[in-house]
Amino acid sequence: MANTSPRGTAEADVADGAGGTGAPHTFTESIRARDDAALLALLRARPDLATPSPSTLRSLAARASSRTALERALAHADARTLQVLEAVVALAGNGPVSPDDVRHAVGADDVPAADGGAPDAGSLVERVLDDALAAALLWDAGAPGRPDLRPAPGLDDVLGPHPAGLGPSRPAERPLTSGEEVRGTLANLPRGGREVLDALAWGPPIGLVPAPGTTARDAVDALVDARLLLRTDARHVALPRDVGLALRGGRTHRSAEVAPPRPEGRAVPQEAADAEAASAALELVRRVDLLVAAWDDTAPPVLRSGGLGVRDLRRTAQALGSDEADAAFVVELAAAAGVVADDGDAPPSYRPTTVADAWEAMDDADRWALLASAWAGSRRTPWLVGSRDEKGNLRAPLSGDLHRGWVPRLRRHVLQVLAAQPGTALDVAAVMAVLRWHAPRTVPPEQAVEGLLAEAGLLGVTGAGALSAPGTAVLAHLSDAGPAGLAEAMRAALPPEVDEVLLQGDLTGIVPGRPSQALATLLDRSADVESRGAATTVRFSPASVTRALDHGTTADELLDALAQRSRVPVPQPLEYLVRDTARRHESLRVGSAGSYVRAADPTVLAGLAVDPRLAHLGLVRLAPTVLAASVPAAELHAALRERGLLSAVEGPDGRVLSTRMRRPPRLDRAGRDARRRPAAEPEPTTDDARAHLVARLRAADAGDETAVDRLAGAHRARPSSGTNGTGTNGAGTTRANGSRGTTTPGRALTPEPGDALATLHDALRDGRLVWIEMVGASGTLERRALKPLRLDGGRLRALDPAREAELTVAVHRIASVEPADG
Amino acid sequence: MTDGPLIVQSDKSILLEVDHPRGDDARRAIAPFAELERAPEHVHTYRLTSLGLWNARAAGHDAEQVVNTLIEYSRYPVPHALLIDVAETMGRYGRLTLATHPTHGLVLEASDRAVLAEVLKSKRTAGLVGERVDDQTVVVHPSERGHLKQVLVKLGWPAEDLAGYVDGEKHEIALASPTHPRTPTEEPKEWEMRPYQAQAVDGFWHGGSGVVVLPCGAGKTIVGAGAMAKSGTTTLILVTNTVSARQWRDELVRRTTLTEDEIGEYSGSRKEIKPVTIATYQVLTTKRKGVYSHLELLDARDWGLVLYDEVHLLPAPIFRMTADLQARRRLGLTATLVREDGREDEVFSLIGPKRYDAPWKDIEAQGYIAPADCVEVRLTLPEHERMVYATAEPEDKYRLAACAPGKNRVVERIVAQHPDDQVLVIGQYLDQLEELSAHLDAPLITGATTVRERQRLFEAFRSGEISRLVVSKVANFSIDLPEASVAIQVSGSFGSRQEEAQRLGRVMRPKADGRTAHFYAVVARDTVDQDFAAHRQRFLAEQGYAYRIVDAEDLDAVA
Repeated sequence: MANTSPRGTAEADVADGAGGTGAPHTFTESIRARDDAALLALLRARPDLATPSPSTLRSLAARASSRTALERALAHADARTLQVLEAVVALAGNGPVSPDDVRHAVGADDVPAADGGAPDAGSLVERVLDDALAAALLWDAGAPGRPDLRPAPGLDDVLGPHPAGLGPSRPAERPLTSGEEVRGTLANLPRGGREVLDALAWGPPIGLVPAPGTTARDAVDALVDARLLLRTDARHVALPRDVGLALRGGRTHRSAEVAPPRPEGRAVPQEAADAEAASAALELVRRVDLLVAAWDDTAPPVLRSGGLGVRDLRRTAQALGSDEADAAFVVELAAAAGVVADDGDAPPSYRPTTVADAWEAMDDADRWALLASAWAGSRRTPWLVGSRDEKGNLRAPLSGDLHRGWVPRLRRHVLQVLAAQPGTALDVAAVMAVLRWHAPRTVPPEQAVEGLLAEAGLLGVTGAGALSAPGTAVLAHLSDAGPAGLAEAMRAALPPEVDEVLLQGDLTGIVPGRPSQALATLLDRSADVESRGAATTVRFSPASVTRALDHGTTADELLDALAQRSRVPVPQPLEYLVRDTARRHESLRVGSAGSYVRAADPTVLAGLAVDPRLAHLGLVRLAPTVLAASVPAAELHAALRERGLLSAVEGPDGRVLSTRMRRPPRLDRAGRDARRRPAAEPEPTTDDARAHLVARLRAADAGDETAVDRLAGAHRARPSSGTNGTGTNGAGTTRANGSRGTTTPGRALTPEPGDALATLHDALRDGRLVWIEMVGASGTLERRALKPLRLDGGRLRALDPAREAELTVAVHRIASVEPADG
Repeated sequence: MTDGPLIVQSDKSILLEVDHPRGDDARRAIAPFAELERAPEHVHTYRLTSLGLWNARAAGHDAEQVVNTLIEYSRYPVPHALLIDVAETMGRYGRLTLATHPTHGLVLEASDRAVLAEVLKSKRTAGLVGERVDDQTVVVHPSERGHLKQVLVKLGWPAEDLAGYVDGEKHEIALASPTHPRTPTEEPKEWEMRPYQAQAVDGFWHGGSGVVVLPCGAGKTIVGAGAMAKSGTTTLILVTNTVSARQWRDELVRRTTLTEDEIGEYSGSRKEIKPVTIATYQVLTTKRKGVYSHLELLDARDWGLVLYDEVHLLPAPIFRMTADLQARRRLGLTATLVREDGREDEVFSLIGPKRYDAPWKDIEAQGYIAPADCVEVRLTLPEHERMVYATAEPEDKYRLAACAPGKNRVVERIVAQHPDDQVLVIGQYLDQLEELSAHLDAPLITGATTVRERQRLFEAFRSGEISRLVVSKVANFSIDLPEASVAIQVSGSFGSRQEEAQRLGRVMRPKADGRTAHFYAVVARDTVDQDFAAHRQRFLAEQGYAYRIVDAEDLDAVA
């Protein structure tokens, strides 16, 4: 395939650094010609160019046009930007390209003007061009006032062989037919030729040569003769770019995708969304309550490979009254909020923490805010629970397997998509369509989007599928990481508290709203819930009343408490039920004792209970012939013998045991994970740091030698640290790294020695991927995404998912470690 | 947020605050589509079901109306998913219609091709439909009209039956006022249909076929007579038992232009076929050598109207027979659409949608049925009986508790408190009833009593000649005891909802002087009897009746 795109000349461009006045002749020159502000803008738009910091403007230009950097820049480019870039690539090499040309080529002229003062398509294209120029994806070779837009070297490669579905340019040795000529030839096409051209016009521009002897073959041959098609090899023909453009009427794209799509969705009134969100939030808070109660009772063990076992998940789901997928989410969320945690015992199990104690004292809105902020910062993917990993193992909730660095960013994007269409319920397909427009080259997995939308629904971030007011607060929380008043937002959405219950003769009670905490406690204790929602219906039964009596409430107290909160007198059947249950409640008494004494003759026992010398035994008279003691049988027996009574120890029948278990102590892990910052991306580097770098580069540009020397010095530091490395200390390496980068912006470049190891340990614990830069066998730096498996004896064993291989690296060869944030 | 009387829960229940200023409006507005589940004193619970929503569609309400009603009266925002579900469910009714095609006869028409394709793909419709006429119409075998409707309801796409009815054989019937006296002592009196009865007849007639729901004592027979007069055709009336058949006959002779000669009884003892024939479910469901031997009745005449009394008791074979009667107008009468066997959907598909429904309390408030006071008397068993009970086999426990000897004295005391009332004692166990009958010196009616003797006693009780009557569970269904104002239940069969409604019906017929009716249940404390009583208490309280529990020792305090 003939590809005469300026790839071949790109290196020449970069190498040719001759300065000059007026229009820049090369990309490098255009970079060097930038003023400080423009350089600053470039570094701001593409922060990766500053990491590690380049030594000269020339190397900055080289880096900006490197494939990796371009891939990275395009990865987050939206459809609009890609269209514009494709158009410039397609039009370049055919005379100067002006913004007007681009606007026409992408079809922005056809887009009807948007109403409501939104910028029209044309100015949007111009803005994209400005941004692309600032980000050095394009450069302007024209003199001031006569723009000549060109793609950054290498951009055409990254965009693929057929930008916008257009074929290759005509080889240089076969000069271009003019546009006129092409149009003229098109007017008198051979028979069948038009159909062939139309089929190729909008791409793909490569066609198979038909079998000889057919009319189609004749048509193709005629087109090749007329130079409207190019033979690329024996079996293929290609539609040259100029012919393609002519067929498309000078357009590169059929329609301009200037604005993100606004998919159709169900309209949801804000009030309805908020109400649904509030009920979802209450339900979630209740489920976490149930989880704490369930795990207080039986703490599920931690699997040896980490995480919660299948059977424990099922049991938990049962306790929560939900399916396993929802239960996995609740478990993950509770863990993220620090309400439950691995207790670290041997063997370890999951238990409620001291956060759960604080939780019990909070109101619904605060509880929700705790969960919501944990969710906002969570990098967990509970929707993967139940699927299998590369090795075929089931992914368990709370296991390290579920960690994904990109989750918070995707979460923010998904919520932004919802926020862009307030009052509209969007389904997965709709959200995916918008996300695809925003980053066509890195489309997120649909399963993740679906999972996040489901989570948002369960959390009340969305209500009936549309972003709720509390959800908007979560988005604000995600975006600027400041305290966004989550609890206040939810409090406003929650229905007002009601402190009144309507008691009825059929033994039900109805709270016509959200019960206040005191009322909820009372009803929880004395009645069973029949229906929840905007109102709560409870039913009193002998079992539920018994529960209240078990808590030490007397019948009168219970009736009083109910009467106080009821507008009407307590109905007679309810009163009868309470009293009747209380009557039977007291008919059997249970107590605990350590041992007992019984005798056939009551008079023997009569004196014992009041004998001061036996007071320490805690003797209680249960019946004329039976005394209970609080001490064990052996001690009682000994004491009685000492007193001169000929007691004998009986067999174990009739011994009363306490059935009341003490609650196991809770862990003190106050929100360890919850404190994580919600934003997952590297912290934005400051403009100060950038300005500093620009100044340095400028200086280096003036006298290259010093900079090169300094860089060389930095490099010399590395081998020396490698040689003094004894065993586990990767410290030398990282320190060298650090000294090199002390003045540069960017967090990843300057890890403290401990940080690298800590990051490794963290990754090891969570089973996360990390980017590891290491000194390869040839002494060059290699950057690979690895999943650490084991770290000891100065060696790191890790899995490289991309190559599906395990490898072992000496720690002193590791130059830097950074979390793979996506 | 408005301050409405409704709270709509996402589990599809609707809570109605009765004392709310707009409570009555809301009740009327939701009655067509929501089914009343519980009606205790302050907050009534309604439920949205598919059948209820389809009933509403059949009555001409659309989803928008339903949604607007819910939103208008709701205190809190209505759950969105519920509104969508309402619209979706209601949208399912009427996508398919049964109609008469000028050339192909009975056809199933779809306004939505996909729906037709879906139901035809189902295995259940195989054999019920013939060839496709076009992509929206398919021929239906006329004999399968009922089966197809049953299947379509099960598939969730209920068909609207617009195929019409055969006219039937004409037979002039008119309501007669004043009444024709049935006994020499009875005086002719002027009467007219009560407004709600007239509404029920109209509702039925406009709908074609369907069910009218009226509480016991609200005059269902008169609604039947009204429908017959409107139809003016020969009529087949299906009732639960012979006593009920005779009462229907008496009532028809009394209130219409029909004479005794025009009304036939088709029962175990007599096989008459007249322009108006009253048959019992039992005779129709009798099998001889494995076949139903009385099916010819259904085709004996060209019936213009088929009337079903007590639809909620309709036995399964009758459903099957009804499936073949789809070309005739059908009217179902019942006090409740709730069936213990859960076959409400068959009533919907085979007899027809609900055409009229009036909540008990409303009619009671209008003064047509007597308010009732329900009292549960708890009897503490003496110690030796408690020991016997505690050590008894589980299967004997209920009988032991229900037949506690102490109950006799309690009943006596209750009866003594109502010297001027007509008192009915109802029980399940014959030994106990015989004993009571002897104690109270009151006649006993059981399944063994002949029809003639039964009618004699009922007549005597009605006329006040005797004021106490002990009856077994045969009294549960469809007998008419207009003057009973006190009912005492000593034992019952495990507290079924239906039985309870029937028993209460016994005492709730309108009283001449508007006295309060009393319903007593005597229960042995701390036994299974009490557990069953809890069901009863719940049912009655849910129906909105004042319910009290008193100890037998405190009985004197209750007047």
